Amino acid sequence: MVNEAHLRLAHAGLDPARLGRLLGETGSAAAAVRALVAGRYRLGDDAVEALKCSTAALAARLQAVGARFVPRIELFADLTPPEDPLLGLFVRGSLPPVPGVAVVGSRRATRYGLGVAEAIGRRLAAAGRVVVSGLARGIDGAAHRGCVAAGGVGVAVLGLGIDVWYPAEHRTLGEELVAGGGAVVSEYPPGTPPAPWRFPCRNRLIVGLSAAVIVVEAAAKSGALITAREALERGRDVYVVPGDIDRPTSEGCNRLIQDGAHPICGLDDLDELLDLRLGPAGRDLSTQVGPVGRPVEDLLAEAEDPRARLVELGRLEAAGKVRIEEGIVYGLE
Amino acid sequence: MFFASTTSAALVGVRPHPVRVEAFIGEPKNTFTLVGLPDTAVREARDRVRSAIQASGYGFPTRRVTVNLAPADLPKGGSAYDLPIALGILSAAGIVPPQAARVVAVGELALDGSVRSVSGGLAAGLVAAERGLPCIAASETAREAGAVPGADVRVVTTLTEAVEVATGRTQAPAPPPVVADPDGDVPDLADVRGQFQARRALEIAAAGGHHLLLSGPPGAGKTMLARRLPGILPPLDEDEVLEVACVHAAGRRTRLSRTRPFRAPHHSASLVALVGGGSGMPVPGEVSLAHRGVLFLDELAEFPPSILDALRQPIEDGTITIARKGITVTFPAVCQLVAATNPCPCGYRGDRKRSCRCTSAAVGRYRRRLSGPLLDRFDLRVQVWRPDADEFLARPGEPSAVVRARVVDARRRQRLRGVANGRLTRAALDALEIEGDASKLLGEALAAGKVTARGFDRVRRVARTIADLAGSDAVGVEHVAEALTFRGQW
Repeated sequence: MVNEAHLRLAHAGLDPARLGRLLGETGSAAAAVRALVAGRYRLGDDAVEALKCSTAALAARLQAVGARFVPRIELFADLTPPEDPLLGLFVRGSLPPVPGVAVVGSRRATRYGLGVAEAIGRRLAAAGRVVVSGLARGIDGAAHRGCVAAGGVGVAVLGLGIDVWYPAEHRTLGEELVAGGGAVVSEYPPGTPPAPWRFPCRNRLIVGLSAAVIVVEAAAKSGALITAREALERGRDVYVVPGDIDRPTSEGCNRLIQDGAHPICGLDDLDELLDLRLGPAGRDLSTQVGPVGRPVEDLLAEAEDPRARLVELGRLEAAGKVRIEEGIVYGLE
Repeated sequence: MFFASTTSAALVGVRPHPVRVEAFIGEPKNTFTLVGLPDTAVREARDRVRSAIQASGYGFPTRRVTVNLAPADLPKGGSAYDLPIALGILSAAGIVPPQAARVVAVGELALDGSVRSVSGGLAAGLVAAERGLPCIAASETAREAGAVPGADVRVVTTLTEAVEVATGRTQAPAPPPVVADPDGDVPDLADVRGQFQARRALEIAAAGGHHLLLSGPPGAGKTMLARRLPGILPPLDEDEVLEVACVHAAGRRTRLSRTRPFRAPHHSASLVALVGGGSGMPVPGEVSLAHRGVLFLDELAEFPPSILDALRQPIEDGTITIARKGITVTFPAVCQLVAATNPCPCGYRGDRKRSCRCTSAAVGRYRRRLSGPLLDRFDLRVQVWRPDADEFLARPGEPSAVVRARVVDARRRQRLRGVANGRLTRAALDALEIEGDASKLLGEALAAGKVTARGFDRVRRVARTIADLAGSDAVGVEHVAEALTFRGQW
């Protein structure tokens, strides 16, 4: 059951710091709403209007953008919730009930980083894991794309309203995530525009929704690195993809490894580290192989009925879902 | 009696030819002439025969002795005519009864009168069976002759014994049966761990008579796999055993076995060694010695292009005709080609552990050496991987006997249709019974440019065999899908 005051307060769109201060001073969500209505902070017209609305009216507004509000108590089932105040999340789609694996990294990623992020996304999705990321440019987008391509379930945590697409070209990707059984979530109410100071706050949510964090590419001072530090503080496993030592966007990653984070030296490492088991035989084989590719022989060795798998491979190739070259199967988009 | 003729035999190509050995005893005059296109070894027979006859206690006639080997235009070589010459002379001179010449005899005579084994037993056996004459030869030669059904073969050790046996005064033993059981020395497929796709390719190759190309790094087990192909092929039947034995006899080798031949010539072998030829009586090359069996070309890219080109025709036609001065012979060459190649000059391209050090230009050059008409013949192409440590511990594969049972069954289905799938022509392929969704899948692959026109034929041939292995009359979608995975990159 959604607490009425929480729902209203969430519509104010306060960042965690101000929300925390307000709740500390007023003592309850209902009091905080009153303080806001009295003009405690300067808020947008929409927000002020929302604070005065009835619960039913708010629900109708959410429904209009295909969203709903999930209170804090229903989130993070098995995980420790963020320490920062959080009233709940605005959700489009369905939030999976199990913790995911976060894939984070630079917005200005290299081709290498993008390829790896996508392959990781595929691998995780193929193993039935929920891929959590921020739907930003670069690594985030690539991880989500891999997840979608593998037919997996993914969660995008935004730092703006879930009906505002930024970057705009990720709109399709976000909608595919929702259509694929995943979700796009935000702590900010629908309509919240992008603002640089809102983005870091979502990092704690990405960590909050994930059992492990994989950093693909991160500069020395970057959101991805903040996410990784947060994850370490909160006791999550952090895995890092190493990079070139002379490339700025690898420095954060390499430092994390220096500090003791576990490096990922090959996609197969994931299987062991995350205890991934490749999906059941019924799952589309093309999702088990990324752009990095896997030997036909290995796929057959894993199969219960290797001959049936060979048939499957032939069908997938004819359908353009995989490419077999020199005995290696590559997954295609 | 001044004249006698006895029978011997020669192989011309793979055909047994009776050779009439005519002996004529003329006026008193101590000469011994041998006519009828004899080579040096045959001419030397005069001294061996004279000595052997005397050492056996018969007197050599002190008359003009003329021996003619007919037909005269057939080149004759070797020492196998010693025994028939001696028998002919003895009966022409009236020293022994005339029945002594009414045999098919082959054997070299030692100076002391003992009979030695020579090659050519098979031809003697075939001629003897055809003529209904007894065949007389020393032990090894007799064993070979004895492989011919219906041949009455007698083992003799000396000239005296030969006379006794030919005239019916003594019963000499028949040679022991010789045709070796299959599997005796053929390695078993169960030894191969993992390698599922390559094993499957081997099974399909065996079932449909498809040529197979194995590509992979050194140590991946390409040779190991190829050597196991004869073991999953049905054993040779009685006629085939003789057919194969004749080819090998033409190459002066004895081969009497129900196991299919496996020939693995080195890439430095000469053109003649591979396709046959040579001076004098042409000898079969490896492509013919592999008749009804497997010709394995390891390191295919190392073979000179001229040799690969020369191999194409015999493999296509199943025969090779060699013309030499005065003689033209045709050898059969119905063999299944298995070739192995490294994926690149260093061999480790695509390997799990070691990285390839070849430039892409070098890889391109290496592959272009293989492109061309011969490569088109490989219906099945498969990548072989160096096994993981895990695979050594993996479940052992199916034993050859189990696979062979499926192969035999699939081959039986093809025999009912008339032709091995590996030899289906485009016209026959167009008439293939293909299920709707299977041809749709083929169409998709073709439309997507994944399969070329030639590749299309190859896929259909392989799919037909997969369907036969599955016991299916029509080619289904799963058969086509599996066939698509055996296209390889070459």
